Amino acid sequence: MQALKKRLSEFLFPTESDAWLSILRIGLGFQITLYALSLRNDWNYLFAGAGGGLVNRDLAEALLSIESRFAPRLGWLVAVGAQVGLREETVLSILWICLLVAGCGLMAGIFSRTCAILAWFLHLCAAKSGGFTSYGVDNFMTIGLFYLMLSPLPDRYSLDWQFLKSQPEDSPFLGFWRRVLQLHLCATYFFSGLTKCLGSGWWDGSNIWRSLIRPPFNVIDPEMLVRWNYLFPVAGVLICLLEIGYPFFIWSDKTRKIWLICICVMHVSIGLTMGMYLFALIMIILNVAAFGPGLLFCKTELTRFQRTQPAIID
Amino acid sequence: MAWFGLHFLLIISFSLRDTLWLVTHGPTIFPSSFKSYSQKAEGVVSALLGQRLAASNPVRQALATYLHIAGIETGYGYFAPNVPGSYKLVFELHYPDGRIEYELPRVNSTAAGLRVAGLLDKIGRTPYDALRELLVKTLAQSIWRQHPEVKTIRAVFGATKLPSLSEFEHGKRESYDFLYAYDFSLREEPAEPEVVK
Repeated sequence: MQALKKRLSEFLFPTESDAWLSILRIGLGFQITLYALSLRNDWNYLFAGAGGGLVNRDLAEALLSIESRFAPRLGWLVAVGAQVGLREETVLSILWICLLVAGCGLMAGIFSRTCAILAWFLHLCAAKSGGFTSYGVDNFMTIGLFYLMLSPLPDRYSLDWQFLKSQPEDSPFLGFWRRVLQLHLCATYFFSGLTKCLGSGWWDGSNIWRSLIRPPFNVIDPEMLVRWNYLFPVAGVLICLLEIGYPFFIWSDKTRKIWLICICVMHVSIGLTMGMYLFALIMIILNVAAFGPGLLFCKTELTRFQRTQPAIID
Repeated sequence: MAWFGLHFLLIISFSLRDTLWLVTHGPTIFPSSFKSYSQKAEGVVSALLGQRLAASNPVRQALATYLHIAGIETGYGYFAPNVPGSYKLVFELHYPDGRIEYELPRVNSTAAGLRVAGLLDKIGRTPYDALRELLVKTLAQSIWRQHPEVKTIRAVFGATKLPSLSEFEHGKRESYDFLYAYDFSLREEPAEPEVVK
């Protein structure tokens, strides 16, 4: 039992470089910035309350309250703004600017923890208040930002580290949070692959065809797609195998590189052929942060923890 | 360590529950006799996750809050087990002079366009007629703000039928099935739905 506990502890708390954290921070900063910029012209329209927007935000928040009264939402911040005399439009615009600043702050690594918490909170508020218009990308952004804000920031590539020299001492948690992200991705792909395997359309390629011609993902002309029809069954089976095999093949040194590259190629393809750029980007960021360091990049042997230890001379 | 155990138990349980739901409700490679077993299993998992407790129950509320803030409140069955069709909403704008124009829900960017498509999917799939009507009504109101001179609006909601590959090769193209229609006027009257299922 003790041996098992020790092995589990070694697995969950490996000594780890903070390269993965740098990738996650910069990647999520980039993602948040793109998210904010992509919605700049529709932000107020998507998230306005009664009588102002596309869908009434108050309706989404009322439904959210049935599930959870304490899940963050934009309505709270609009109410705070109203207390100081700010109109809803003004509050929403300020929140958009704050989100953009948090994204840029994360990319640069200035006030990394504050920016991570701010980005997580504001994005979560937008995702929950825009519940009817949110989709998979919002879930994965929340997951990534949740782990990022709990991880031991700042990392050594951040400006915080360069200028403030604020070097935290909690290196064991670097490995722990990377493990959490890795295991979460394994669960995600396994269940995604499993549910796809249950549908006959993924085995004969018809689901690939339907995905590519289904509005609004019909980026490529179907007349052109028809010429490549022999590839659909191959692509369908490959996607099922890649996803369901992810938790089994991503851990082995022999198969990790090929699996990671294939998964990233799959997401790039989804981004290009279905126009889901933000979804593709967040998945690539999470994958590369979780399994990329030491594999796709030069392995950093020294951990931050080890570098900060005094040398012992006999 | 306890947090780690609980966190992953929740991720796996919710993913499992959603998988069982798909087996119960969707056409899958399993025989239909399997559906009753998956339905029972889904019920057990849901009960273990506190989903059968009253919505106001503090345990359920606390759990839901954690799931939302961690982003793990849903499973990961994207486009599974099969890719569903999409939905379309068209507004018929009736002007006082008898003129009729057609409008679609409009946004300014592709990124927001994807979100509107997701919204239409949610409207199409909701089992609650009142919620569907309310959502269509709020969308109609947004159109009304852009065209204040319009007298009445008829919202027509339909499902897109996608051709299979062989059908496409034989000349068949995307078509629409009429599902619901709602008439709205400026007066505060409830919509008059015309429903075809």
